[in-house]
Amino acid sequence: MIIYVRSGRETLSWSFPSLLGLGRQIHQSSSLIEEQLDPFSLVSDELSLVANRLRAMVIAEVPKLASAAEYFFRLGVEGKRFRPTVLLLMATALNVHIPEPVGGGVGDTVATELRTRQQSIAEITEMIHVASLLHDDVLDDADTRRGIGSLNAVMGNKLAVLAGDFLLSRACVALAALKNTEVVSLVATVVENLVMGETMQMTTSSEQRCSMDYYIQKTYYKTASLISNSCKAIALLAGRTAEVAMLAFEYGKNLGLAFQLIDDVLDFTGTSASLGKGSLSDIQQGIVTAPILFAMEEFPQLHAIVYQGFDNPENIEIALEYLGKSHGIQRTRELAMKHANLAAAAIDSLPESNDENVIRSRRALVDLTQRVITRNK
Amino acid sequence: MLFCRGFSRIRTTPGKSLFGFVLSRRTDPSLFLLSNQYVYSTIKVRSGRETLSWSFPSLLGLGRQIHQSSSLIEEQLDPFSLVSDELSLVANRLRAMVIAEVPKLASAAEYFFKLGVEGKRFRPTVLLLMATALNVHIPESVGGGVGDIVTTELRTRQQSIAEITEMIHVASLLHDDVLDDADKRRGIGSLNAVMGNKLAVLAGDFLLSRACVALAALKNTEVVSLVATVVENLVMGETMQMTTSSEQRCSMDYYMQKTYYKTASLISNSCKAIALLAGQTAEVAMLAFEYGKNLGLAFQLIDDVLDFTGTSASLGKGSLSDIQQGIVTAPILFAMEEFPQLHAIVYQGFDNPENIEIALEYLGKSHGMERTKELAMKHANLAAAAIDSLPESNDENVIRSRRALVDLTQRVITRNK
Repeated sequence: MIIYVRSGRETLSWSFPSLLGLGRQIHQSSSLIEEQLDPFSLVSDELSLVANRLRAMVIAEVPKLASAAEYFFRLGVEGKRFRPTVLLLMATALNVHIPEPVGGGVGDTVATELRTRQQSIAEITEMIHVASLLHDDVLDDADTRRGIGSLNAVMGNKLAVLAGDFLLSRACVALAALKNTEVVSLVATVVENLVMGETMQMTTSSEQRCSMDYYIQKTYYKTASLISNSCKAIALLAGRTAEVAMLAFEYGKNLGLAFQLIDDVLDFTGTSASLGKGSLSDIQQGIVTAPILFAMEEFPQLHAIVYQGFDNPENIEIALEYLGKSHGIQRTRELAMKHANLAAAAIDSLPESNDENVIRSRRALVDLTQRVITRNK
Repeated sequence: MLFCRGFSRIRTTPGKSLFGFVLSRRTDPSLFLLSNQYVYSTIKVRSGRETLSWSFPSLLGLGRQIHQSSSLIEEQLDPFSLVSDELSLVANRLRAMVIAEVPKLASAAEYFFKLGVEGKRFRPTVLLLMATALNVHIPESVGGGVGDIVTTELRTRQQSIAEITEMIHVASLLHDDVLDDADKRRGIGSLNAVMGNKLAVLAGDFLLSRACVALAALKNTEVVSLVATVVENLVMGETMQMTTSSEQRCSMDYYMQKTYYKTASLISNSCKAIALLAGQTAEVAMLAFEYGKNLGLAFQLIDDVLDFTGTSASLGKGSLSDIQQGIVTAPILFAMEEFPQLHAIVYQGFDNPENIEIALEYLGKSHGMERTKELAMKHANLAAAAIDSLPESNDENVIRSRRALVDLTQRVITRNK
């Protein structure tokens, strides 16, 4: 399962099917793939470690705060593993092999310490992600719960804001402990971008709603920035060159964009290939995504509808009609594939390595780019 | 040492949270003090039902009416005027830093800083004074001006701490107040209320992120740690206040811990950060920390008193906003020690306005107010002692700034607004 971040009227009860044998349904085989590659299983032990540390880090002395903050991490233990998986795979993929006979195990110690620091990036990233979820959702809930025990609603919301702040502060403390100011800068930028992205989404003008550039920028901020900058941080911690760090960044960025574009498609199609079976939550919230934007290029009449907005459910119907007649869905998938390929290319551009683990992790990262665009859930 | 708790006539306007400072001198209590009050505004951090419309009178002619002179004070000491030019610089930079490309976010984030330019200067004042007070004098003759450049760069970095501190403080205000407003604005255009609140949350996050970026730019990981701790403490303090159990409500320890988190931690840790940036020793950094901590605690304790007394010396004229929100502060906690009957009332809580009446009665009969002021004085003195313990310096500016910092400790406890 992949984390699907929407600030909508969804309640806080998420359910995720457990991680089933994703590797089983790879329809393509390639001579490059000698074994069944399940990216997630490559790092699953480490993921448990990270998850446990995360839960320890978000324990707060104040019980109410703890339950709000831990909420996502309890679920998170089962469900949310996409981002940490990518980061841990990246850490291995960028491994510079340290020869064994260096001072009797010093190499190992250094490698272990580095790994721990990289795991810390995964933890920090998750905390920031969840903090943004808590903040994004808080006032949608306020809306929904109005009239149902106002004090609880207020308390719940205020605690959600505080819990988000709490997670952010824990992330900052962990970040500071890494003693790497470039990494601190990267993560600070991420937080800023998340806020920008959410704000862009909240305050979109009619004009901006119709703009593909605005949409891609917002998508970068909301979805891709976190993973691109944390991939880069992984590289920096490993002492890699600026070029390698940029490749890691590009992988994360393109993976994130591809992910979001498919997300947009699935919101219309759901698990079927046909239109209108998806949850349609984007358009119902007045959020205009790539498929509609592409359809607008083919059908200028749609522009007026989008400009009006989607408070009127009739407009949703009309938009869906146009979307169906257009190549919007298809073009979105093509754009997603383009970004997925860019991500894969970034991995292929990494400096060669003969290390088996490195090769396997890089393959897994490339594999992920395909899974992101072929998934239908 | 005698303190003259001077009082002044301060113009009050409904709905304001203002604190005027009066000068006090530690000499003859028979001399009546009245000064043209320094009406500056300190941020009163209450998550209450106050609206977001703050108004602050501008900083008026300070220091004109000092009636007492003391042989210790060779010149008129106005802590605020010592750093006022620098404060304007800091304020301008702050406003530039919170400009956001998205207009709506900008207006939310800038809101406090627009007002803040006129009003909120306490924290930055302390930090800038501390920066000077800890100055290691760099001789002019070092490499033709290099000393100056180094000093300037250091000063800029220390000013950055002041900016970062203000951004974090305002972010916490935005977050603390957001859902009290949600409560109030219900029924008045719900979408606006939601939008306004969500923007407030986002604006707070935005300020936090700008603070983080500025922090990272200092390239000092110890300072980053300190500030991260502050954010954590602010959250803890607010949470403690929101989730107080009946048991905890009656505990002085809990109250002091919460007060440290909510009020003192920010200023103590940023004072320490100032010292660290200046390359001072751990001992000096600790003294700076102690100053900030005790100043913050003294400030809050007097705040608690003023919530009961307002501008008069007598009880019950204050806004009483703490007790009305069920927040139990030092005066009540002290009164409870004298009157165990009060314990039961406090345990029940103050949803019932009768309980408020009863508590005020007990408070009046008790020495609660007095003991709170004494505790505040104790902390103020500890703060002053920390300054006095700093390594000696002959530099005139250093001496003057240190004096100003000590002066502030007195102002904090003698103010009556």
